[in-house]
Amino acid sequence: MSDKQSDGPRATGGRAPDVFTPGGWVPMRSHEDSEEVDFVIVGTGAGGGTLACKLAESGFSVVAMDAGPYWRPLEDFASDETEQQKLYWTDERIVDGENPIAMGSNNSGKSVGGSTVHFAMVSLRMRPEHFATRSKLGYGVDWPIGWEEMWRYYAEVEQALKIAGPVRYPWGPKRGRYPMRAHPMNAAANYLARGAEALGVDWTQTPVATLSAPHGKAHPCVYRGFCAIGCSTNAKQSVLVSWLPRALKAGAEIRDLAMVGRIETVNGRCTGVHYHREGEWHFQRARNVVVAGYAIETPRLLLNSANAEFPDGLANSSGLVGRNLMVQLNQAAWGHVEDDVRSYKGPPSLAVCEHWNYEDRGKDYAGGWSYMSQGPLPISWAKTLAGGRGLWGQALIDEMARNNHTVGLKMVGEVLPDARNRVTLTDETDQYGLRIPRITFAYSDNDRAMMAHATDFMDRSLEATGATDRWKEMGDTAHLNGTARMGHDRRTSVVDADCRSWDIPNLWVCDGSVFPTVGGVNPSLTIQAIACRTADRIRTMAAQGEL
Amino acid sequence: MAASHADIVATRLIAGGAAALAFSVFADSGLEHYRGSFANPTMVLPIGSAVLGLTMNGRRSAKPESSGSEVPTISHVGSAAIGVIGLGFHAYNILKRPGGASFNNLFYGAPAGAPATLILSGMLGGIADRMAKGEETIATLGLRSGRMVAGVVSIGILGSVAEAGLLHFRGAYHDPFMWLPVTLPPVAALSLARDVVSDEAHSITTGLLAATAALGLIGVGFHAYGVARNMGGFRNWRQNILAGPPLPAPPAFTGLAIAGLGALLLMKKGSRRG
Amino acid sequence: MADRFPDYDVLAKRDSLSWNDKTRAVVDARIATSEPDVLSEPERAVLRRLVDRIVPQPEGRAPVNAAALLLEKIAADRGDGYRHARLPKVREAWERGLAAIDTEARERHGTGFAALDNRQADSVIQAIQQGDVCAAQWEAIPADLFWSYRILPDIVSAYYAHPSAWSAMGFGGPASPRGYVRLETNRRDSWEAAERAPDAVVPASERNRHVR
Repeated sequence: MSDKQSDGPRATGGRAPDVFTPGGWVPMRSHEDSEEVDFVIVGTGAGGGTLACKLAESGFSVVAMDAGPYWRPLEDFASDETEQQKLYWTDERIVDGENPIAMGSNNSGKSVGGSTVHFAMVSLRMRPEHFATRSKLGYGVDWPIGWEEMWRYYAEVEQALKIAGPVRYPWGPKRGRYPMRAHPMNAAANYLARGAEALGVDWTQTPVATLSAPHGKAHPCVYRGFCAIGCSTNAKQSVLVSWLPRALKAGAEIRDLAMVGRIETVNGRCTGVHYHREGEWHFQRARNVVVAGYAIETPRLLLNSANAEFPDGLANSSGLVGRNLMVQLNQAAWGHVEDDVRSYKGPPSLAVCEHWNYEDRGKDYAGGWSYMSQGPLPISWAKTLAGGRGLWGQALIDEMARNNHTVGLKMVGEVLPDARNRVTLTDETDQYGLRIPRITFAYSDNDRAMMAHATDFMDRSLEATGATDRWKEMGDTAHLNGTARMGHDRRTSVVDADCRSWDIPNLWVCDGSVFPTVGGVNPSLTIQAIACRTADRIRTMAAQGEL
Repeated sequence: MAASHADIVATRLIAGGAAALAFSVFADSGLEHYRGSFANPTMVLPIGSAVLGLTMNGRRSAKPESSGSEVPTISHVGSAAIGVIGLGFHAYNILKRPGGASFNNLFYGAPAGAPATLILSGMLGGIADRMAKGEETIATLGLRSGRMVAGVVSIGILGSVAEAGLLHFRGAYHDPFMWLPVTLPPVAALSLARDVVSDEAHSITTGLLAATAALGLIGVGFHAYGVARNMGGFRNWRQNILAGPPLPAPPAFTGLAIAGLGALLLMKKGSRRG
Repeated sequence: MADRFPDYDVLAKRDSLSWNDKTRAVVDARIATSEPDVLSEPERAVLRRLVDRIVPQPEGRAPVNAAALLLEKIAADRGDGYRHARLPKVREAWERGLAAIDTEARERHGTGFAALDNRQADSVIQAIQQGDVCAAQWEAIPADLFWSYRILPDIVSAYYAHPSAWSAMGFGGPASPRGYVRLETNRRDSWEAAERAPDAVVPASERNRHVR
């Protein structure tokens, strides 16, 4: 990694980087540490960045902090997997349990804009019933928010991100027109479509957060295929280029390279956050603190903030902070075809099948899953072949050389909440002197049954398209959710439907941690929808004097 | 009957319109079939045909009297035939894709209506050629009244509107100016159709057709702006000329509108005479 | 196996619109990376031999400095954002693991790993892969975890970070600002690799020489 933004923070002195202009700046409102701002938000990803924008637009004073750097994609991003490691959270974390989770590039961002800077842009809505799995489907736990409301907020997010999606969506209740049309399908996506048609299930173009037409200063997608390591054209509608420019315009302050280490409380209320920036610790005063660090850093911060008032960590009277960590199953089926596929072209997942999110019959397990076409980059693919298939030596080199003829389908599957899957603190500390997290995870029998069904189905889909030399990748996971779940009951959840802590009325959690269940779709759209709803609720409550 | 001045000008205009259409086909199918890597060797045919049509119609426009040669006829009939075959190929290209006649395949498959431009160029070229030869009819249809040409142009414009509408829908009408080609030309086409039915050339139609002709040229400018807005702009021309909005597409409107003006001229002459 | 993409070189596009300045800078620096002063010379010799066997380099392709790139990671002790609870940090893991490999080689073949012939070296690697190891040093670093968390990902990540490896697999390489136009099955932009095909009208090598 050559560029660690070694010259220190960029968003200082009343200006922030202009993500649309090499070397450019935009004005930014600044706040003193001693000024008690309405909201300090920890994290600027799908949850925090979205909320910062919406709260600022509602007139609140907002300071949003991120431990990562503030990039200008046009000049800072290379078409290079190794260099772009700089987007990932690569600080040390300990993984254990029966099935330790791969972190880093797999699911964790450390940039202003969070993981959305390197997410694969898949923007799916959760199936309505998946917001009430306990009462509708008999497993998991219900969300405290109804699906109709969530689907209204999905529409708002889709509009903000100019999601490019199909004209007709085959599953679920009728939805409005996507703001942009779907992208052309690459060869890999066509293989998904042909397989689905052969097996008699619906398929469609994946709704993705990358532009299919110009929008503002952002260029449309050029199909360069490096989406998962950061978009250097700004076609990808990450939080960095969508919500945050709006947030700045509305008066939010964003502090990059600002690591929040501890939330301070006095008499049962938060008073602000201790954060590390430019080599020293500072304290920002705030009337409200929002934790939006994603499902590892959020519980870590809440636990690291334990004090005399809250010896088990903040918001933790239920004992559930850090518990019910949910990844999503990310198993795949791969094979070879005669055709030249070159799946490195275009966004990696241009076609999707949500059949098994909406069909409950024929399953010997609970939960749903979707699957998408794939386009792994060389290092990622080499690690898959080496780790997933045990290839090395000449066998690996030869297999890599057949990459242009490889097709694959990968699932995003629902992992059920399990209190034993959790985030705790180790005694080891990081560069800030903060205790680092330990992430413990094991698959359940339900997970294994879903994996078996899904990999078998995807394998049959490939077979139906004539793919040979097929194999199943059984190890991978994706996404992180659920370590500060929302719910109706303070005994069984960490926050309420408004993402407000049951224990501390001016402490909020707004990111993937609040998911009670995850469904079988990528979580980013849902996180942003929750953030939009939370902002609306905060505005309403503030107007009613309930903050 | 000796050709009147109006006949000569009308012939020039109709041939000129056909030439503009042929140019549009030449450039558009050239680019699009290059993008399609000439996967099917017949993909060179519309380019060759359009070059020939451009030559024939260009000459006819410059010299509206026929020397009696049958070469232009062969060229125009060939254009129309290749256009018809092209429609079949393009339909097959769309339908063989997973999803069949879905929006996505209409957006990104072979453009369903594009070969029709070649048919229009052939038809208008053929009409101009017959007029230059002093013929009064094609089959049983009268040439001199201008109504037949006007009818062809009216339908042609509506077809082009449909194509622009589809492709601008693909672009999500992200720029309000993208509504222009689906609002102005249809009005012109309908006004022209009304004139055909009533056999009376209204001056408003002339104005609308002139505006449509201008729009076709302005459209090239808009599309050039669109290309420039893609990543790398014109510096990245090898990608963006192909991936951006098609530069040669809008002049099809210009060609049709010019031919339409020729038709109006004939209709006006007819009404003066009547 | 014959080169599938004869005469294709991703670096031929270095000065084209497929590469932006940032990409040029980081790839140039990577290609120029030489072995940093880390580990002992015998340890490095074991590592080089291991890299040679895990990613044997194709003949006729520019050499990849994979060992140097890996050593650079070890020198920086740069983790991936997660560490198995039973593994030490990157540098220490490699120190322990290389020592264990070398001992394993001596116990099996009577000589250090660096001096083994290909067949012998591969048999040691297979033993590690299968967890069928006997050297006592493995108690300090579980062979299966060292294999799956360090050996495989670290070595293939170093190797496939190099343009020469991209060229050999027909990968398009860096692509920004210029991306791709022809996304469909069996379509190739003129700035992509052509694959050797017996019935090709224009030989792949001829096409590949014009990739810019």
